[in-house]
Order: sequence, then C-alpha cells, then structure tokens
Amino acid sequence: MRHLPAERVVITGVGAVTAAVSGGAAAVGAYLADPRAVTPTIPAGTLATLIDGGEARRLSRACQLTVAAARLAVADAGMPDCTGVGLVVGSELGDLHSTLEFADGYLQRGPSGLSPLLFPNTVMNTMAAAAAIAVGAKELALTLNAPDVAGELALARAAHAVASGRVTMTLAGGVDQIEPTLAPVFTSLGAPAAPRGEGAVLLVLEARAHALARGARILGEIVSAAWRGAAARAHGVGRRPDTRAVARALAGAGVGRTDVAWVYDSASGDCARDGWEARVLAAALGPPLPPVASLAPFLGHSAALGALRVAAAAWTARSGLLPASPMRRVRGAVGLVHGLARGGTHVALVVGAGEGGGTA
Amino acid sequence: MRRIAVTGLGAVSPFGAGVKAYWSGVAAGTCAIAPVTLFETDGLRCRVAAEVPDVTGSARRSRADRLALAAAAEALEDARVTRREREEVALLVGAVGGGMLETEAWYWTRAGREAGGRLSAVRSTLPSSHADAIAHRLGVHGPRETLVTACSSGAAALAMAADLIADGVVDVALAGGADALTRICYMGFSALKLLDPEPCRPFDRARRGMSIGEGAAFVVLEEEQRARARGARIYAELAGAGMTTDAYHVTAPQPEGEGMARAMRAALAQAGIAPGAVGYANAHGTATPQNDRIEARALREVFGEGSLLVSSTKSMIGHTMAAAGSLEAVATVLALAHDLVPPTANLEAPDPDVAFDCVPVTARDVRLEHAISNSFGFGGQNVTLLFRRV
Repeated sequence: MRHLPAERVVITGVGAVTAAVSGGAAAVGAYLADPRAVTPTIPAGTLATLIDGGEARRLSRACQLTVAAARLAVADAGMPDCTGVGLVVGSELGDLHSTLEFADGYLQRGPSGLSPLLFPNTVMNTMAAAAAIAVGAKELALTLNAPDVAGELALARAAHAVASGRVTMTLAGGVDQIEPTLAPVFTSLGAPAAPRGEGAVLLVLEARAHALARGARILGEIVSAAWRGAAARAHGVGRRPDTRAVARALAGAGVGRTDVAWVYDSASGDCARDGWEARVLAAALGPPLPPVASLAPFLGHSAALGALRVAAAAWTARSGLLPASPMRRVRGAVGLVHGLARGGTHVALVVGAGEGGGTA
Repeated sequence: MRRIAVTGLGAVSPFGAGVKAYWSGVAAGTCAIAPVTLFETDGLRCRVAAEVPDVTGSARRSRADRLALAAAAEALEDARVTRREREEVALLVGAVGGGMLETEAWYWTRAGREAGGRLSAVRSTLPSSHADAIAHRLGVHGPRETLVTACSSGAAALAMAADLIADGVVDVALAGGADALTRICYMGFSALKLLDPEPCRPFDRARRGMSIGEGAAFVVLEEEQRARARGARIYAELAGAGMTTDAYHVTAPQPEGEGMARAMRAALAQAGIAPGAVGYANAHGTATPQNDRIEARALREVFGEGSLLVSSTKSMIGHTMAAAGSLEAVATVLALAHDLVPPTANLEAPDPDVAFDCVPVTARDVRLEHAISNSFGFGGQNVTLLFRRV
C-alpha cells in the first residue's frame, strides 16, 4: 500500500473504557506512565457512570462499551457535534454474548424463546450502529472483523479515509468483550491460551488542517498506514517474514527503518504468532531492533487494545517514554504500531507527535 | 481521477454455481425460493428460503467459506488475474454470518438438539474466515479487509475496494460478499416477524415480508487504463458509490429515507451525472412493507417520478444477506451488458404507493447507460453503487 495521500491525519481525542483506565487522553497517559497488570474484566460500575439508565437497559454490554468510548472520545476532542463524522470499529468477536443468549433462548424454549431485541446484536455491526446513533455520526460507518488486529486495522482504514478526503473526521478503534464460555472451547480446540481482555477504545482522527482551524489539541499524528495479507493458512501463522506492510508504511512516511525509535507490537502470549511477528519485525527493522512494548500483558488481548496501542504510540511520541518492562526513555520522531494476525492480516502504522500541535 | 473497470465476475446463487446459471435464472424471472432443508424449521411461521443447490468444496470448510471460494475463484479466472498478480490484489469481503451454520450445529448438538456437530467448526465462525480462506487458497495477498455492515456488506466491499483503486493504493481488487443460511439469521428475522411464509413479493400491494437466501458473488475491479492496456474484457465501469449511515435506529430505516437518498446522491455526484441519466435501479427491495415503502420514497426524492425502472432480484433468490449487495451488483452489471432489466418475480398487484415501473414477472429489453444497485442494512447502513455502460 502506498503512503496516505493528501491530508495529514492527526489524533485529537481518545475515549477508553478498559479494565485499567477509563477516560480521555489524559487518563490514558497517566496509566501508561505507570502501567500495572489488572484483572482484565472491566469492574462493575464503570459503565454505569458513562451511559444513562435507558441505554443500560436497552443496549448489550458490547454496545454500551462502544457508546461510552465514543462519547468520551468526542468530549476529549472538544467536538461540538458529529456532523460529517465517520466511524470505523474493529472487533474480533463482536457481540458474541448476545448471539449465545439468542441461541439459548431457542434451545431452551423453542420459537417462543426467540428474542427480537437480541437478534440485531448477533450482527457484528451492532456496536458501530449503537455508537453512530449515540453521537449522531451519519457518514461512512464501517465494522471491520479480523482476528488479533481488528483495532489497528480499523485505525489504519480510518486514517486512509481521512487522508484521502473521504471524511474530515472519524471515530475509529476497537471493541471486544470477554465471553467466559469461549475459554474452554478454545482450550478444547488446542488454541493458544493468550489471555483475553475487554473494553472499547476509540480515537478521533481528523485532517490536520481541520484540527488547526478549529483550534483542536493535537495528540499525535498517523503519518502513514499500510495493511496487507501475509501468506498463512487460515487460523495459522506464516513461514515467511513478510515485511511488505512495514516497508510500505515506512516508505509512505518518508522514513527509513533506522528512524523508527520504538515499536508497539501485537504480541499476546500466543507463542507461534508472537514468534512470527518477532521474525517479521527483525527482518523489517533490524538489526538492531528498536525497543518494543507489548501492552497485552497489562490488559489482555482484544481489539480495544489494538486501538490503545495507537493512542499509546502518540503518547510515547510526545513524552519520550515507552512502557516496556522497565519503563524506557526513547528518542526519535516516529514509532511503529505493528499487528500481525493468525491467518495473515498485517497492519503497520507510523505514528508521530504531530508537529505544531499542543500538548496533553 | 482513476476510473474503475469491472473485469471479472463470479457468483454462486440459489440457481447454482456460476455467473451463467445466476444470470439465466434472473433473466428468466425464476423464483428459487423453496422449503428449507438445511435445518429444522418446526414451529416457525415461515419455512421457505432460497438455498444454493449442490455446494461443492471440502467438507472441512464451512458452507459459507465454500460459497465464497467458488465465487472468488470464478471472478479471478474470468478476469484472467495470474497467480503472480494476485500477490498485490486487494481482497475485500463483506460478511455477516461467517461459519455460523456449522458452529450452530455444534452448539445444537451440545444441547442435545441435533447430532453430528463438530467442535472444530468453531474455528471458522468469524466473518473474517472467508477472506482468510480465499487469501490462502487463491493466493490473494494485497490489502485484506472483512467488512460487516449487515445486509449492505457485499456492496460496501465493492465501494471500499473502488476507493483503494481510485486513491492509487492498488490497481486491482477482488471484492464481494458471501453468506450461508444460518439458524440464527432465519430465526432472528422470524422473531422480528419480517418473513413471508410464501416466496416474497417485493413492491406488491400484498407483500408480507422477506425471504432469506444464501450465496456469494465477487467482482474483480481494476484501474481502467490498466485493464484496457492488457486487453481485459470490461463489463462496466463502477462510476460512483455512496455510503451513509442513518444514525436513527438499530433495525428500522429512517422513515423519510434520508440516509438512503444521501447514499444515492453521493453515488450520482461521484459519477458526475444527473439523476435522469440513470435508467435502472436494482432495489434493495426486501419485500417488507416498511423497506419497500421507504426505499420507493427515497428513490422518488432523488429520481422523481420519471422513467426509472426499478426491480428486486430478491424476489427470485431471496435476501442473501452479506452476499446480497454483490450478487445484485453482478445482476446490475449484466443488465447493462445485456441490455436487459431483470424482473421482479411474484409481483402481481403493484403497490400504488410505489411510483415506479417495477418490471413485474418478465425481464425487459432496455438499453441502459447507467444503473444503480441499492443495499441497506441494520443500523441504517446505506450503500449505493452506480455502474456505467462501457
């Protein structure tokens, strides 16, 4: 993929609802400065402070997470309204909980147990639809599904939509929730036991000229993004260290591999996939490899984490801090957010501080 | 501005495998809606659907993966895209149900309601399974996306693929949608009381709801100069696309059809043509009282009460969910290529509130310059594709 055309794309807002942190860019920054591993389930009561009673009754948990993150992001970006705003939501599992609940209704009570209220939640775009309604976003609305990297993919796609002028502003990120019935199923299938997390993280992406014109605070810049399919069996990992996505993202940003000052990778505890990603990064950037941070050990693996990695990269570009173990000080204008999924979906984003912006 | 040529078509429909079977059935106005055989429908008000006959491929793959693979392979072969070229071809797949049919079988078996479901089927549940299967089996390794915009997913895949070509990201894209019939989808629409017990009758005064179908369709989209330079057969130009969101209700369309009309206008604007230049609309046309009324209102708002011909191919193959937008795009492209507007089957008494000739029962010979294909989905996800004759 070539670099982003025309418009420069900046990050002007963050909305995060996770087990460790809920809030805007400041809250996310405070957590990243002192990250701790937490129980991956979002504490009871967190959502109650972020959505109203009607939404709590009407919306599924996955939709509630998305609506809450969208509202936080919109407020964080100081957006007066969402006229002309797009929405790109990545999810790996969608609202699987509602899907199982819908099926259980039939299995337990036959046709009379089928719930017309639950059924729409079985379609994976339900979270984007709920968020679009909540904030009034009426332009391009996409839901992207991918294993492992749905959050990063949504941000890459959204950045392209802004860069190409299709939309001026867009909310983009990821959402997933923990479904307890899945773990034993995956174990039975012999799947890797990567610890899962949950949450919703949405960023506001905006054409830089538009952001400056409205006096928005600039949190960072997605300088370039590329996404491709690396060769791999479905559900499997590849044999070759395919570096095309990284190479194209770097070329788009006009930087070389030695300019990449840090990396946020998508390692999650799935040893085969983590090893493949490490080989790809080594082939694309090394040696020597810049310092690499993985946030999954802190929060568990989810599409929300993929989006949080992009927000974290912008924070690192501003602060010079990388939440590796231990915390590291890094120098350089840009870093890389990298994701590589089982099955081969491959995403790379070059992220910087966004020159000329304010601070947060 | 880079223009987008349609250079390959592939389809698996309730008429069987292949574009030829699909177009023959559609052009003849044959209704493929019949009693459901894939799963039990006892106790449900509706018991008919449009199933794909004789699905081929490895039984280890989900039915939906097999539908997707067959249609994608046909499109790539039709466009003569080589293995080497496929390394840089974008792959955009509209999907909803994924491998849910087989996962349901396992879940139903676990609950003691069926026999024979396999735990291993769970691996292919996700909608993204189709894209990963196509990429691996057919060697398509450009930018890869699985888009879920409910019933407009297949059309959204074409629209976003066209963007990638227009923006210069890639020169060639394989885009389409696939869905197999699933219990959850069938029972869900049943719970919403949106299914007609008889084969659906879009735009009929007595319509009572939709019929569900299954299938897959893919198209190869290509930068036009590249296509011409290599002497590719060009079926049509994808001249415009509009994508909007109602932001109104999770299942119901905005009552005035405002989002639908915006999508149609956006497609017209991108194509740079006036509404009067469009001769045919392949409607979303689900046959629910609400959809057809609101879609007709939106069409009238954009095109006026003129000579636009409107038909719904769902009257023959049912609503194929994520495949609908791409199957209907293929029908629209072939309508342009063959100067033949597909009919609306089962349309006996046109609704007087629908101010268009809905081409009842029999296909119509008409020379078309431009035609649109509308697709709308839960969540108010509206997509209009506009094709131009070449």
